Amino acid sequence: MLILRYSARELLRHPIRSGLAILGVAVACAMLLDMLMLGGGLNSSFESLLTTAGYELRVAPAGTLPFDTGATISDLQTVRTGMQRLDEIDGVAPVLGANLLLEGPDRPRVFVLGVDPTDQGIYRLEAGEDLRSEARGERGIVIDRELADRGLAIGDAIMLQAPGSFADARSRRGEFTIVGIADFLYSSVGERSAAVSLGTLAEITDQPDEASLLMVRLAEGADPEYVVMRLRSDFPGLEIASVGQLVERAAQRLSYFRQLAVILGTVSLIVTTLLIGTIMAISINDRYGTIAALRAIGISRRSLVAAFALESLLLSLAAAIIGLALGLLVAGQLESILSDFPGLPAAIRFFVLDPGRVGLAAAGVIAAGVLAALVPAIRAMNAPIASTLHREEP
Amino acid sequence: MTGLLVVLSAGSLIAPLASVEGVWTQDAHPLPCRVATSILIERSLAADFGLAPGDSVAIGSDPAGPGCRVMVAGVYEPDADPAELARERPRIIMHLPEVAAMAGRDDEVDRFSIRLRDPAGANDVAEDLVALMPGTRVLRAEAVAARASTTFEVVRRFHRAIGIITITAGGVFLACIMTLKVQERRSQVAALRLVGVSRSTLLSWLILEAALVSVFGGILGIGIGSLASHLINGFYQRAYQTTLEFSIVTAETVWIGLVLAVSLGLIAGAVGAVRLLQVDALAEVGR
Repeated sequence: MLILRYSARELLRHPIRSGLAILGVAVACAMLLDMLMLGGGLNSSFESLLTTAGYELRVAPAGTLPFDTGATISDLQTVRTGMQRLDEIDGVAPVLGANLLLEGPDRPRVFVLGVDPTDQGIYRLEAGEDLRSEARGERGIVIDRELADRGLAIGDAIMLQAPGSFADARSRRGEFTIVGIADFLYSSVGERSAAVSLGTLAEITDQPDEASLLMVRLAEGADPEYVVMRLRSDFPGLEIASVGQLVERAAQRLSYFRQLAVILGTVSLIVTTLLIGTIMAISINDRYGTIAALRAIGISRRSLVAAFALESLLLSLAAAIIGLALGLLVAGQLESILSDFPGLPAAIRFFVLDPGRVGLAAAGVIAAGVLAALVPAIRAMNAPIASTLHREEP
Repeated sequence: MTGLLVVLSAGSLIAPLASVEGVWTQDAHPLPCRVATSILIERSLAADFGLAPGDSVAIGSDPAGPGCRVMVAGVYEPDADPAELARERPRIIMHLPEVAAMAGRDDEVDRFSIRLRDPAGANDVAEDLVALMPGTRVLRAEAVAARASTTFEVVRRFHRAIGIITITAGGVFLACIMTLKVQERRSQVAALRLVGVSRSTLLSWLILEAALVSVFGGILGIGIGSLASHLINGFYQRAYQTTLEFSIVTAETVWIGLVLAVSLGLIAGAVGAVRLLQVDALAEVGR
């Protein structure tokens, strides 16, 4: 307790010095926290998004990622039936994606998904009703908030037109009635999405028996990696990946942010160490005489080193508390900048708050601060008592 | 550039015309191995596989298939375009009909560019083309460039925000060090004041010292920054197989860095010096 009081008093004796040090370390701590959140947040956010709908595997045309290109899986029914024969597979949800034009003044583009409404993990209904079937005659459509914000409402009729060759473009269109409004899980910022029955979309886009993506739900206890291996062997012309493998690929594409996080996180720790090290070195240098006097009256070296370590700990702790709050604030601002990143689902978060990472940032800063204080403290303990007392007046 | 229009099919991504990426379909027609055929390959591909002009290689859309023998006509260096980085690499360039045959997409393209006789009428022509070709999008070249650069615009804003945080951290660090540096001089300053050195002389001395430390620190920082920039370019140019410069130290950057370092150092030094000179010199030397 005595040591604690001594350490606290020393910090309060130089309020400007301590205040600036705390502020400097707090900014470094904020940066470290943000980089830790950025480093792991993207992966965990992506994984959470992919697993939220309850489908463990994704199947796309070979050489592509889901909806990366306009390529499709053909012979859909054969592929679907073949997959469903496996005991490990509980369900296969086909999705066909196409960009259609909404007839209206500026003919906006709408990304329309053809689904089987009884087995889909693409959207969550927020208002109204779901589509009734995946059949061709179904003329209901579920729209997203972007479209609803354009003045469209449940019960309205809209006309969608498919792109195509010059000759038949005018003939491939369909009239739909809006039956529901939904949250489309994989839509990117500003994208307008809608869902219709698989059969109807296939008819409009002239892609019968095709799908852009299959979402596979596994039976309880099934090993995703084993099923991926099995499906790859049975369907060599398809790209089959588990959620884990997709997360890994996404992480590779966005590796820049992870590398940046590592570099800036390391720089933050170095800055913290340098700042606290410098402040403690100067602070201890000022007290060589006092240290020698305390040692002369019998205070052990260990107690004095502990006092300096505690002083640094208090400094780092105060900085860590401010830094964590600052870090969360800055993370919100940085997230709003990166939310405009094109092509990523709007639900993806770059900065994910995780108590483990918050703890790691605080522990990193405090450990760096305490270690930085040890070097000058140990050096001061090795100074000869008599000559120091002679040279310096406490 | 002003006179260029780009026509996109509504379902297409902005993808290079002569690339086979993303066009494979399960029921693609088997590659007919049409006569011709010569290709250009990207430098990184040539380096990885030890290919040179005149070599013969087999290409195809089915990894298990035999493919078609083609001759490497040349090796090319892609433009240093940031928009190309995120796309599938490396690439080969082929004649359009051969790509179409390989992809099973005869008589199709993802996009085409139009050069106008009168660039001033680009908007009118675009409107006419949209009416003429339902289901396609017609964009001015500037719009295509803007869409392609969205990613980099976001990254630029992110870098700017990170830069502001870094400058704040650096500024506080500098202020802290300069305050400590001045305070370290307090017994010397007290002694000098007692022997008659004026406050203004001492103030000038302390500020000059702060300025020198800031300038040397700034120069050292610019040196470290330039070295880091060099390392970053080396790393990413190898990683992305490009000649693109990822980090550039400009005269403006150097100037801003130096001005910030010196001004912050001077302010911190001056504030510390003024406070130091207000302290009672006798009390400071313990009398």
